[in-house]
Amino acid sequence: MHQLLTAINEQSWTPQRVDTVKADERALDQFLKAVERRALRMADMATGNREEALDLVQDAMFGFVRHYAAKPSAEWAPLFYRVLDSRLNDWHRRRRVRSRWMSFFSSAPADDEMDPVAQAPDLQEPGPLARVAGKEIGQALEAALVRLPLRQRQAFLLRMWEGLDVAATATAMRCSEGSVKTHLSRALAHLRRDLEAHYE
Amino acid sequence: MNDQNDFVWIAQATTALDESARDLDAATLSRLNRVRQAALQQKRSRRVSWMLPAGLAGACAMVLAIGVWHGAVREPALPTLPNAELVHSVNWSNGADDLELVANEDNIELYQDLDFYAWLDTQNQEHDG
Repeated sequence: MHQLLTAINEQSWTPQRVDTVKADERALDQFLKAVERRALRMADMATGNREEALDLVQDAMFGFVRHYAAKPSAEWAPLFYRVLDSRLNDWHRRRRVRSRWMSFFSSAPADDEMDPVAQAPDLQEPGPLARVAGKEIGQALEAALVRLPLRQRQAFLLRMWEGLDVAATATAMRCSEGSVKTHLSRALAHLRRDLEAHYE
Repeated sequence: MNDQNDFVWIAQATTALDESARDLDAATLSRLNRVRQAALQQKRSRRVSWMLPAGLAGACAMVLAIGVWHGAVREPALPTLPNAELVHSVNWSNGADDLELVANEDNIELYQDLDFYAWLDTQNQEHDG
């Protein structure tokens, strides 16, 4: 009986519990605020489309809050990027399937059909990175990043930009630490080659 | 490029990426804010939807527990007494002293003649009236 009453009492809204919930919510809000811009830029580079990128970030935030908000805050960053990475992979998979079907039926494309080439990021158009940096290197870097395969780009951005360690990056990308090192090594090789002219 | 150059261009790249994330346009920032608030609202809604059944279950458990507790108090070992029917007529509000009085075997004769004492009481009341 006493245990039952204690259990019921623990579920009630004591002032301390209200404070705890508010503090948790504040911490979650601050975390999302801290990662939202980088997440959007990653999605920008993956999709080449701001609206699609915003939708993906929204999906990632909802998924993260639904599944991982109760985890310790120290684990939030790799888990959030894990959800985002999953959404980006899904987006690319859907796009590949759509492109395959469209190429199959592309003998007489209707006017209202989506053109996959038109959906691809325009490398000549200076993206936000180049616009902001206002330098040749900014434009070259953005173009080089967009050209990278998704996994290599994610490994580079998570390790070098977001500053996750190898283990956290592996958690985010749902792969082994060895795979992270391989993706990163290849990404650096590609970027080094693409940007070599700017650093000779 | 050598390692030193690697270090330089990676540092420049991350700086440029930071600037691009910092200087997003107002419409995008507004949309990001709405997205974040919607995600947090989803968390609040989930908490409320979880609390309602939990609160009902807690209330039911409380009512059940109180019922069981009262039942346990109202049922002492009455059948062991020699005259259980009489025991039921006793006023329980007087507590343990009455129970002891009634259960005492020395008083068995007393409550066997209760009808007589009840009749005597009515006679006294008529005389008093």
